[in-house]
Amino acid sequence: MLEDAFMTLMKLVIPLYLLAIVIYAVRAFRGPTVPDIILAVDCISFDLAAFMAILAIYFKSVFLIGGAITLALWAYLLDIYVAKHLARGEVGA
Amino acid sequence: MSEILFYLGAFMIIIGGICDIFGAIGLLRFPNFYIRLHAATVGTIGGAVIPLFGTSLLALGADFLPHKYAIAGASFVTGVIVLLAAPAGATALAYATHKAKLVKWEPKVDDLAEVRRND
Repeated sequence: MLEDAFMTLMKLVIPLYLLAIVIYAVRAFRGPTVPDIILAVDCISFDLAAFMAILAIYFKSVFLIGGAITLALWAYLLDIYVAKHLARGEVGA
Repeated sequence: MSEILFYLGAFMIIIGGICDIFGAIGLLRFPNFYIRLHAATVGTIGGAVIPLFGTSLLALGADFLPHKYAIAGASFVTGVIVLLAAPAGATALAYATHKAKLVKWEPKVDDLAEVRRND
């Protein structure tokens, strides 16, 4: 009963997430400056983390969730490294 | 009880998908980097944090799921991490862009420049 409702929800929600990721990727390829590209890659990473959490319920598996946590932390790390490089001219320790 | 949790989580996931589409369209159509930051924050907070919390509620309510407590807890932790990390990263990126003068800064209203001009 609840599983049928969940499959109907997935048919509604998965195209929304895939379309959003494709539009973010268009901005990531077109972006005129470096911060635009980094912002678009950041949005792709966070949305992919949420999408992996949804897919973990869809496939009934726990292994996708650990990847989602690591992906969110990696996107934050990318932000901080690029901001340090743009502000100071070096990455440093 | 489990039906209430399930449908609340499904509603939050649908809200997340709609916010995601709006953030993506804004990131594609807005003219300037500093204006695009607004759409990007809509896309991360509304499009990633709310569906992660909704996934946590939905996994708690779903009785067909084998490892539902592990999926619920880990997606809640991911939601808290994104909730803390996305605004900090966007702020750091805006600060670095303004400091490196990569994007032309053209505000509509600049009170400090008006005061300096009148003195």
